Amino acid sequence: MDIDKYKKIFVQESANYLQELTTGLIRVEQDLCNSNLWSEIHGKIHSIKGMARALSLEAVSNLCHQMEAWCKEFQAGTTAPDAAAVQILMDGTDLLKKMTEAEASGADPAADPELKRISALLACRPDKLDRQTQTEPHPVAAPSPIDRIRVDYALIEELLARSQEIILLEKTLPPLSHQQMAAGLKSWIDHYMAMLRGLHFQLARLRLMPVQDFASLFEKPVRDLGKAYGREVKLNVAGGDLQVDIGLMDRLREPFMHLLRNAVAHGIEPPDERERMGKSREGTLVLAADKRRDSLVLTVGDDGRGIDPNPIRRYLREVVGMSDPEISAMPREDFFRTILRLDYSSADETTQLAGRGIGMDVIAKAIECLSGALAIYSEPSRGTRFVISLPLSLSIIHAIVFRIGPYTLAAPTSHVASIQRRRNGPSQEGDHNNDLGLRLGIDPRERKPGFILKLRQPAGTEHGTSGQPADHFMVDAVVGNMPLMVMPPGELLAKTGTFAGVGIMEDGDIAILLDMERI
Amino acid sequence: MDCFVFEAGGKRLGIEARCVYRVADDARPAAVPLAPPCHVGVIYYRGDLFDVVDAGLLLGDRSSLKDENPYVILLKWDQHKLGLIPERIAGMKWIEAPKGAEDVFTHDGRRIRLIAPEDIWRLLSDLSYGH
Repeated sequence: MDIDKYKKIFVQESANYLQELTTGLIRVEQDLCNSNLWSEIHGKIHSIKGMARALSLEAVSNLCHQMEAWCKEFQAGTTAPDAAAVQILMDGTDLLKKMTEAEASGADPAADPELKRISALLACRPDKLDRQTQTEPHPVAAPSPIDRIRVDYALIEELLARSQEIILLEKTLPPLSHQQMAAGLKSWIDHYMAMLRGLHFQLARLRLMPVQDFASLFEKPVRDLGKAYGREVKLNVAGGDLQVDIGLMDRLREPFMHLLRNAVAHGIEPPDERERMGKSREGTLVLAADKRRDSLVLTVGDDGRGIDPNPIRRYLREVVGMSDPEISAMPREDFFRTILRLDYSSADETTQLAGRGIGMDVIAKAIECLSGALAIYSEPSRGTRFVISLPLSLSIIHAIVFRIGPYTLAAPTSHVASIQRRRNGPSQEGDHNNDLGLRLGIDPRERKPGFILKLRQPAGTEHGTSGQPADHFMVDAVVGNMPLMVMPPGELLAKTGTFAGVGIMEDGDIAILLDMERI
Repeated sequence: MDCFVFEAGGKRLGIEARCVYRVADDARPAAVPLAPPCHVGVIYYRGDLFDVVDAGLLLGDRSSLKDENPYVILLKWDQHKLGLIPERIAGMKWIEAPKGAEDVFTHDGRRIRLIAPEDIWRLLSDLSYGH
């Protein structure tokens, strides 16, 4: 039996289980007596143990066995878990990760000195644990590079089926006479190219990951930072289902770690202080993603104390040489952007984990390298938001594709409430505001409106060109509701101020994506 | 230098060959509303998006569009991507680089106007998009 091949599968499989185990432990920390969560955690550890046993990986399976014994007790309620016990299981999970990586690289997993310490702790009953030995702070590890993504099984099936079909095309080339050759070959090549375009479209989807998966990379570091700084903190994610280019997200990993570290270390107040101020003891960090026009907008926010303006004023006065009236006249955004300067630091002394301002110039540079922009908003005792706008290099959205006159256009499905067949009537004629064709300068003689697209009206939407938001569009024909690979509109199309991008359909055809905030 | 020569709008034009990425045949540009008349549309070619322009209308006095699926000269330079629809492609010619400010040279007794892609882009950018 080729044991190395199975070890490789074990390492890949256990990486998923370990990630889920970490998430489970973070959740159970907030709800210590939830037996369902303990059951889930137990299940993950049991699965890793089973795989390790099958491959005779003794050190890994023994550690799992010890962790499992504790989980059984917590699940049954025979022993009440506490934060120290969860921390030991968290340490055990980190150790399991290192041990499986050692297995992959051929090193001895039992050689890790941490194994002795954790095994000794797990050998006790959880209620007999010596808590004094557990007070050491742990270094906070930044998330590892994104070198693997999860891919839907269905997508793999689609890719295999399509590539199989392309291979089989060879057999569909009919015997052709010289006269038929040109026309026959052309039709065959057209079909072949359409198949290849579809394959390219599906392959491009492999480059995308949901923002939620990116955010989950920070769950453990945020939890560890909270422990290290004595803060109670949770990480909320908004727009997690947005799919973004994995290459882009990987380059944002370190800047995000800096921002989250600063937020925990300097933004979120200690629980007692928050309580005194009438806030909940638990601080909230937010990682939000949104798509606006041709930009991806990512926000890292906290509900903490906000950025102290005094050191910034002092810096502007003493280092930049600005007068007090000049400082007061600065726009708020420019004022806070001071912290991005290379020589700015407000901290009298920096801790090993973070210093205010340290790394901010590095973050600004990283975002600049991605052709993005960073804006900072902060209010005393209400918190700080770092808003990063990045050009969308590639994304896939679902859109309603339709035709008006000679144009094929698209509107994001999320903006369309319903599609109705149009009936002739006076209320639908001469309605300039809802006549998309008229707005796009399409000759009415070229049009045959056949359908009405009723639009959803998101709260707070700005409508740039008409003043009045349109609530429906009359369109000639509806092509369908389909995924589009969206590319930025480019310099010339952007000048129209009407389009959010150019969508490529699975068959390679193009639909121009409307900017719903502007139309 | 190597020069890619084509005809558009009744003129014989040349463009430095290193800016020519490909000549796409059977390209069907997707029309874009609100664009000026010379902007024929956009095409997606091998992972890139190209604005496609009727070179005759932009650089000369009559349209080059005669076919539903025209040849498109795809240009790539700096960060720009642009497709030009010519009336006819004459091919690659080797020419002596024009001296001084002169951008017209003669090849086989015919005058060819050398045009830089940056200048085409500038012309396009100066046109009106939208209302």
